[in-house]
Amino acid sequence: MQDRSATINRPVLSRAKGNEKKAGPLVSILIPTYNRRRFLSVALASVVRQDYDNLEIFVIRDGGEHVNDIVSSFNDSRIVFIDRAENRGVAFTLNEALVRAQGKYICYLGDDDLYYPHHVSTLLDALESGGDYKVAYSDLYKTYCRIEPDGNRTALSKVVEISRDFDRFFMLYFNHALHVSLMHRADLIEKIGLYNEQLNVLIDWDLTRRLVFFSDFHHIHEVTGEFYSPIGESDRISVQRRKDQSEYRRNVLTIRTTRPAKPWSKIDDMSIIFVTDKINKQAGQTIGLIWSNTFYPYKLYLPLPHAELSRLNIDMPNVVFVPVNPLSSQDQKIDAALAKCDGKYVAIAPSGLPIEEMWVEHPLYALTYDPVSNEAFEPQGSSEQLWSVVVRKDHLANARKSFPNLSVKQSLQAAGIRSRKPTDEQRPFQFDMLLQQAELAEKNGDWAQAAQMFEYIAERYQNELWMKTLAAKAFYKFGNHARAAKLSSEINQQRPTVDTLLLEAKVNREKKNFNTAIGLLRKAEQILTRKPDHLVSTEINNYSR
Amino acid sequence: MDKTKEDGVEEGCYTQHYEVLQELGDCYSSIGNYDQAQHYYEKAASLGPDEPGPYVGLGVVALQKNLLDDAEIAFRVACRLDPNCAKAYAGLAMVFQQKQNCQQAFELYMKCLELDSDNITALLGLFQTSCQMGSFEKIIYYLETYLDMHPADTAVAFSLAALYMKDGRLEQSQKMLLDILALNPANQDATNLLEEVERNLAQARLSGVKTQ
Repeated sequence: MQDRSATINRPVLSRAKGNEKKAGPLVSILIPTYNRRRFLSVALASVVRQDYDNLEIFVIRDGGEHVNDIVSSFNDSRIVFIDRAENRGVAFTLNEALVRAQGKYICYLGDDDLYYPHHVSTLLDALESGGDYKVAYSDLYKTYCRIEPDGNRTALSKVVEISRDFDRFFMLYFNHALHVSLMHRADLIEKIGLYNEQLNVLIDWDLTRRLVFFSDFHHIHEVTGEFYSPIGESDRISVQRRKDQSEYRRNVLTIRTTRPAKPWSKIDDMSIIFVTDKINKQAGQTIGLIWSNTFYPYKLYLPLPHAELSRLNIDMPNVVFVPVNPLSSQDQKIDAALAKCDGKYVAIAPSGLPIEEMWVEHPLYALTYDPVSNEAFEPQGSSEQLWSVVVRKDHLANARKSFPNLSVKQSLQAAGIRSRKPTDEQRPFQFDMLLQQAELAEKNGDWAQAAQMFEYIAERYQNELWMKTLAAKAFYKFGNHARAAKLSSEINQQRPTVDTLLLEAKVNREKKNFNTAIGLLRKAEQILTRKPDHLVSTEINNYSR
Repeated sequence: MDKTKEDGVEEGCYTQHYEVLQELGDCYSSIGNYDQAQHYYEKAASLGPDEPGPYVGLGVVALQKNLLDDAEIAFRVACRLDPNCAKAYAGLAMVFQQKQNCQQAFELYMKCLELDSDNITALLGLFQTSCQMGSFEKIIYYLETYLDMHPADTAVAFSLAALYMKDGRLEQSQKMLLDILALNPANQDATNLLEEVERNLAQARLSGVKTQ
């Protein structure tokens, strides 16, 4: 373990608040901080005033401004303060706390974000309720704000921008669960490892993606916190570091090719057998394209003679060399690689195969959700000359065993495995494609079309609350205020947000139901003017452990 | 920590809080709670300093409280923030009407109707000031335009019928009143005016005067 020299102030964890002792597992909350003194006090206040008591609260100073006075002003024995003078980055900082965390569960909070009082208890209830979930996440408001001259933040709007139900396939492609909204079992860290300190952006997605290998995520449709987006702020890591496109891309590829140690309880591995006679420019290009376009976890098998393998100068991860006899045929090379493959799925990719985004994920998705068990699927770029297929390993192995003298393609056919290209309906991310189309309709001002599409998506896919909210807004802009109000009202019964409260209020005012409108608007205003700074000053004074 | 895939900002996402406050002001104003209305309009103005809406609202509240100078200031600010804010001109016109400056009020009502020919406040205000000034031509045009869009609005139709009569257009007045009574036979004002119009028509025919 690296030397993590820092001052650690850890009081004895004897917990009692008055005469109440909250039964329940310990939850560790990690708050890295760097040069956000003013907002740290707000963030920390939101943690100490959680309605769940049994917390271990790490505040880790990653260099920059001193915050000792802020931390000590809380006088809370649950706070573990790690004070480091040197700035080492967020990943290092979080790891510093993670290795010390004793909680059964782990949560994260940015030093400029805040939890609502029921954040921890809500997530904990979900995870302790006896299901199979080891990870839970909720919804958050994105608070667009203005920084006042006195440093306070004035909320201009609070929007639940994303409220996406768990989609494992998507999480392998990119993140959809905000890190601040996440809680997970601490013992998963042993399986997935710590934050990757070689990354300098998207470190949260990297960790979350590794969690996906071991657990489903329980999405709780409640808003339990906020993260802030000040107008004109360009100092966020996410903004700054995405400007360097190649560096950003490097980080994305690193994340997508990260494989935690097996066994994986929730993901079936894929083996890609690369078929070529020799390593030449075309082979190199194809391998490069596989590397940059594949997001599903895989290992790449290279069945080649020793002489070719020794010429290979490759820094691509997850590559397995399979030495073969120089006189081996293509089919014999495949057989040699197949014998070593440990994935449930096998993709055969010849050198020169046209590779583009989702080249293997599309047929793989069709295969994993295929109710008909005797099919295999070919990537779009597959042809008679460059045949490629994605197939279950056991099907391929049985076919090769049963018909070893046939070509791989013929042996599959002989074994009754029909291979074809998947249809568009079998493509992953149908939800995302439809959402894109609906958003385009919005952008073009075709509100009627957008509204209908959002409703269609809400009915047939997950993410009902999110889509209904968008539909309500589009209906209102189109002029169908009755429909907008009806949808808003339904949403407000389940999970009221500022947007839907405002919508329902507007329609009520148009109908001259002024008192109803006022009630809805007052609720919206309460959410918008949740006064963390005021609460901080009041509650710090009153709160002493 | 990185938060979302894209940091793009949805159009209008900075105005949500302002909208809530403006709506609250409008609602409280509608139920006559002018103190609360003022409170929310002032908050809305601080969040939307370039928006005319809160100042229009504050002007209305001041008018209700008979604070004419305050109302004038508020409506003028609204006009400056948005030279095309019809409601601001209507409000300013009402201020001048209250201050007995019919000419100024008339011009401002006209300005409002140029921007929004549907503004009922301006239509009725124009009617009132026209009556005081004895000049009907422009108001007749706007009332006709409004009725084209809202043929069932008998209040405006009645005003127009009265203006036609004052302008000597007795047959047009008669037709309009008959249309009103077809929609609402119990409209006593229309019945009374129709009697007067038909009496004038009869006199005109007896004396050989040409009528419209």
